[in-house]
Amino acid sequence: MTTVIRADGVGRRFAGRRVLADIDLEVRDGEIFGLLGPDGAGKTTLMQLLAAILDPSEGQLTVFGFDTRHGAEEVNARVGYMTQAFSLYDRLSVIENLQFAARIRDVAASDFRLRSEELLTMAGLENARHRRAGQLSGGMRKKLSLCAALIHAPALLLLDELSLGVDPLSRRDLWRLLRRHRDEGNTVVISTPYMDEAEHCDRLGFLHDGQLVALDTPARLRRRVTGHIYQLATSHLDETEALVRSWPGISSLQRLANRLRIQLAPDQDVPVDALARLDGLGHLVAVEPTLEEAFIALSPLSAPAVLPPPMPPAFAATGVEVRAERLGVHFGDVMAVHEVSLRVPPGEVIGWLGPNGAGKTTLIRVLCGLQKPSVGRAWVGELSVTEQVGQLRRRLGYMSQHFSLYPDLSVAENLRFFAGIYGLAGRQRRLAIDWASHMTHLTGLEEQRVDALSAAVRQRLALACSILHGPAVLFLDEPTSGIDPLSRQHFWHLILTLAGQGMTVFVTTHYLEEANYCHRLGLMHQGRLIALDTPDQLRVTLGLPHDAGMEAVFMAGIEREQRRAS
Amino acid sequence: MRLLSLLHKEWIQFTRDRVVLFLILWLYTVEVIICAYALALDMHDLPLVVADADHSPASRSLVRAFTESGNFRLVAQLNEASTAAEYLERGQARAVLVIGNGFAGHLLEGDEQRLQLLVDGSNANTAAVARGYALQTVEAFQRQWAALSDSPTPRVPPQLRIWYNPAVTNVSFVVLSMIALAGLMVGVAHPAASIVREKEAGTIEQLMVTPVSTGELFVAKTVPTLLVGLAALFPSLALVGWFGVPVRGSLPLFFALTALFLISAIGLGVLVAAISRTLQQALLLTFFGLFPLMFLSGTIVPVESMPRLLQELSLVSPLRHYLDITLGIFLKGTGVDILWPHMLALVLIGLPLYGAAWVIFRRQ
Amino acid sequence: MKAKRIAAVATKETREVLRDPITLGVALMMPLVLLLLFGYAITLDVDDIALGVLDEDHSPASRQLQQAFTASDAFRLTARLRHYHEVESTLQGGEARLVLVIPAGFQRRLARGEASPVQLLVDGSYSATATLVSQRALAVTRGFGRDSPASLLSLDTRVWFNPSLSSVHTVVPALYAVILMAFPPLLTALALVREKETGTIQQIYASPLSAAEFLCGKLVPYGAIACVQMAMVIIAGLLWFGVPFHGSPGVLLAVSLLYVLCTLGIGLLVSAVTRTQLVAMLAVLIITLMPSFLFSGMLFPIFTMPYLLQLYTLLFPGRYFVDIARGVVLKGVGVEILWPSIAVVAVYTLLILALAAWRLKKKVA
Repeated sequence: MTTVIRADGVGRRFAGRRVLADIDLEVRDGEIFGLLGPDGAGKTTLMQLLAAILDPSEGQLTVFGFDTRHGAEEVNARVGYMTQAFSLYDRLSVIENLQFAARIRDVAASDFRLRSEELLTMAGLENARHRRAGQLSGGMRKKLSLCAALIHAPALLLLDELSLGVDPLSRRDLWRLLRRHRDEGNTVVISTPYMDEAEHCDRLGFLHDGQLVALDTPARLRRRVTGHIYQLATSHLDETEALVRSWPGISSLQRLANRLRIQLAPDQDVPVDALARLDGLGHLVAVEPTLEEAFIALSPLSAPAVLPPPMPPAFAATGVEVRAERLGVHFGDVMAVHEVSLRVPPGEVIGWLGPNGAGKTTLIRVLCGLQKPSVGRAWVGELSVTEQVGQLRRRLGYMSQHFSLYPDLSVAENLRFFAGIYGLAGRQRRLAIDWASHMTHLTGLEEQRVDALSAAVRQRLALACSILHGPAVLFLDEPTSGIDPLSRQHFWHLILTLAGQGMTVFVTTHYLEEANYCHRLGLMHQGRLIALDTPDQLRVTLGLPHDAGMEAVFMAGIEREQRRAS
Repeated sequence: MRLLSLLHKEWIQFTRDRVVLFLILWLYTVEVIICAYALALDMHDLPLVVADADHSPASRSLVRAFTESGNFRLVAQLNEASTAAEYLERGQARAVLVIGNGFAGHLLEGDEQRLQLLVDGSNANTAAVARGYALQTVEAFQRQWAALSDSPTPRVPPQLRIWYNPAVTNVSFVVLSMIALAGLMVGVAHPAASIVREKEAGTIEQLMVTPVSTGELFVAKTVPTLLVGLAALFPSLALVGWFGVPVRGSLPLFFALTALFLISAIGLGVLVAAISRTLQQALLLTFFGLFPLMFLSGTIVPVESMPRLLQELSLVSPLRHYLDITLGIFLKGTGVDILWPHMLALVLIGLPLYGAAWVIFRRQ
Repeated sequence: MKAKRIAAVATKETREVLRDPITLGVALMMPLVLLLLFGYAITLDVDDIALGVLDEDHSPASRQLQQAFTASDAFRLTARLRHYHEVESTLQGGEARLVLVIPAGFQRRLARGEASPVQLLVDGSYSATATLVSQRALAVTRGFGRDSPASLLSLDTRVWFNPSLSSVHTVVPALYAVILMAFPPLLTALALVREKETGTIQQIYASPLSAAEFLCGKLVPYGAIACVQMAMVIIAGLLWFGVPFHGSPGVLLAVSLLYVLCTLGIGLLVSAVTRTQLVAMLAVLIITLMPSFLFSGMLFPIFTMPYLLQLYTLLFPGRYFVDIARGVVLKGVGVEILWPSIAVVAVYTLLILALAAWRLKKKVA
């Protein structure tokens, strides 16, 4: 075992602002090392330091024994670095992108042929060889980026947010490539916001506010919070939640579709009288902690665990039913959506799962009136999505995965703008903005410019902007991509509160554990709706144990469909 | 209310974009000043080499006649013409005046006398002007010389009057045309860039799910550029005063017609934005579109000097109409009664641009 | 410097350019559009000048004078005026650029052998046109009814290098300078800044590729485009407009390559210091394109500008290249005469490239 990375008191400042400080770290060869931390904790900066494309402001950092300041060339020759943004050339084909990556790193032509074949096959890209990178789906692009980073068989592979925006099927391929690379004796450093991904790492480093606050194996990190996690299955969520919130020392409270998950501070226990008072409302059991809970325990500055009760919107939204009958969207010969019928009652949170290209986004675009269906009809309440588009848009909220905000406007200006284009004015507008910003904890941030905000805050602002006008139906397209677990929990709490007030919510997500927040799940595959049911019922129909993870449910559903098709 | 919000947002974004604001100000002021000083002057100080083989008082007074007018600047005085060619080849002189041996003698005896002028034709414009100046100078010199003897006065003495610009200076023209040009560049480039930026950022999709209509979006994208374009006229008007350009017509009319012009220019920008997907494409297309429009407008070359076909093509350039309007209002004091065809033309150019952009947007 | 790595970058860059139809189209069409516009639109002579006539004499002599005007191609009678007060509106509306006023008694005075003046009223708003119009009109009137008197002095003008005084011949060589200054910097700057904006540049930083190798590779396709543009303009100029080529093509080619390196270097330098495409484009516009039009001597002679601005023009390499191109193409001179300008371009190029390589470090910040 030799040391690949050694950091001694490494720090970095940008224009006087500390982004990283006092990082001591040692990574040995053959390790998969995971970097975790909320948005803005300094993960990307650390990655750039390791790739020797950024110099540390203090301390010493060596990679393979070379100082990254003076031996950058030596380091560059030995690492593969995959950046967070897609680092592909859209106008080049898959194979041309790989070729470029190989040739600037002096890979011999014969080696290139062998390795590129091998990598493309492993990644499932062998049939896409001559397609332009710009035409690939997000998952395929990520796989191609990884292949490009692996093409010269680097002894150290650095991956920044590997799985951001990647569907579960592609994610499985990515990890297969990674494990094999590790098994060949190489080292991998990966940063990720996905906790299930962090589980696969040999060791994890927790970054918070530029400091490494924990460094351990996943199992030992989880053990730190063992005995402090409880689950409470109940059908009276509101009452139970109110009760539980009165307990002392709650470090987080997760409200799922049909249960609460409670995390107590390390020195706290369930109050003695609590069980009695919960009697009849639900059943409290101690459960195994997830890595996410370990993460929350490690965040020194937890956001307030107790959320303020939301004020009712100034113009209460009355929920409406969403219906679709044999909806189909065809692009030439491609059936993006095929024969989809559904009925979603008011106040339901419905999650759409499926691999990239399954038709989730197209379906949502139809329901928003952005895309005309080729066949079939759909209604939001009494409004037809094809004929009454104008009225329909007043009743809809839409939040895209890009958090479509104006970066050069402040928080308040964005809110005022979106309120205004929905026709809110004067007192009504003020009330709506107050309500939405209170609801999304934006109070106090009004004067900040959006481009200076972290992804988590931008996400809350995007949500605020899409609910200002009290929509009857809210569409969320990958709303939590790139968001740390704590912020994600808060976000979902908000969504469920809104649903409790009658708002119907459609969500697409690649982060399968989020499906636990949804009342019902729609599973899509190649344009078809292959299942639509509650998570528990899905487990039953697919023949899975009742505690099976969402990833298992997803895979089982897809596999069943593939069997049926063949 | 919707429209108001859109406008407010556009306005904030516009005023926050420091680089662009700086550029607009630059175009409307610094560029105008530089060009007015550099380009507005009639040609003078032409580098001249004299090869004087005569060395007589007469030949020296001829050379003085050349240099005293300010049209020529003496670079070198040679004794013979053989080395003069090199000055032309090196570009150190644009013209060579060759005065032959016996110049004074012939002149005194009243014999016909040939002078030679070698002109560097590599810049045809300069060459033609140099030739004209030389002819004038020689003629004047001759008249002076002959003033002793009586010469017939011309039978039809023309009384030339240049209206609207008695001194025939270029300054007014350059200042006004640069201001018009700035309006075109800003009017096309800014809305194009601002719409494509929303496309790239995905916010345009967000707007599509709101009740905002395409028409409202266009209005919102038009108004800020329009207002800034109009506001930028104020520093320009200060320059107009500074350079002594007369203001004979009505300023309110000028502002109103500038608005009309800017709207049609912005229409072009909106169309460019509808076509392009990326900022790079929008910028290149803007670039590609601006050149012919500029060229066909009469700012660089007078429309009258163009071949017939190009003259007719120039009617589609909004800048051409605007230039006529500007020159008309400032220099001639023209009013609506005469300018209305240009106004109509601006409307007819602007409307199809917006229409085409609207159709393309709708289809996406 | 490894040739293979440079080749990899060059191949990649070439493919990207070839697959962007809008960029490629603009790069290839623009020089021809410019050539056509300059070639056809810039003529020194004004033909078909719109002429208005106010004839208050109605005599054979006054008609003769009018004929003297319309007989040449220069004037076209567009308006007949009846009263003096109509002059104003005729000139204002652009119906005529010149109004000839022949007063009553014109013929009578002529018959008596007196001087018989006429008025020429010129629209001065387009000053360039006004100058040409008045020269033409003066020539016609002066020549009217006069036998050319024996002139004591005659000026024998010989125009060298461009005997026909054709403006196309003037403009085409200068256009090389403008086109090579307009496109290569713009394209390189945009290409590099785009890599910054999309983040692909980080991939380059993290590879063993050196900054110099990267820049060299980037230069290849844009240099090639520049050469194609240049060739198109030379050929179109030669075949379509009949612009002669007196000097050595080898010399022009060599100097052009040097100049292209220089302009590409400016593009690289711009992209090394800017972060967004919009700013890069504006910067390129202000520091390359405008000056190469206005301050290179292409259209406006530098010697006429105020002294300070003459010094300002020294900053832009376009001005030297205009001299070189005109020297080679029209004057047929070679290095022995042009070396000072060539030397300046060479030094300029070296400085720019060194500066660009120094600015583009392989670090994020």
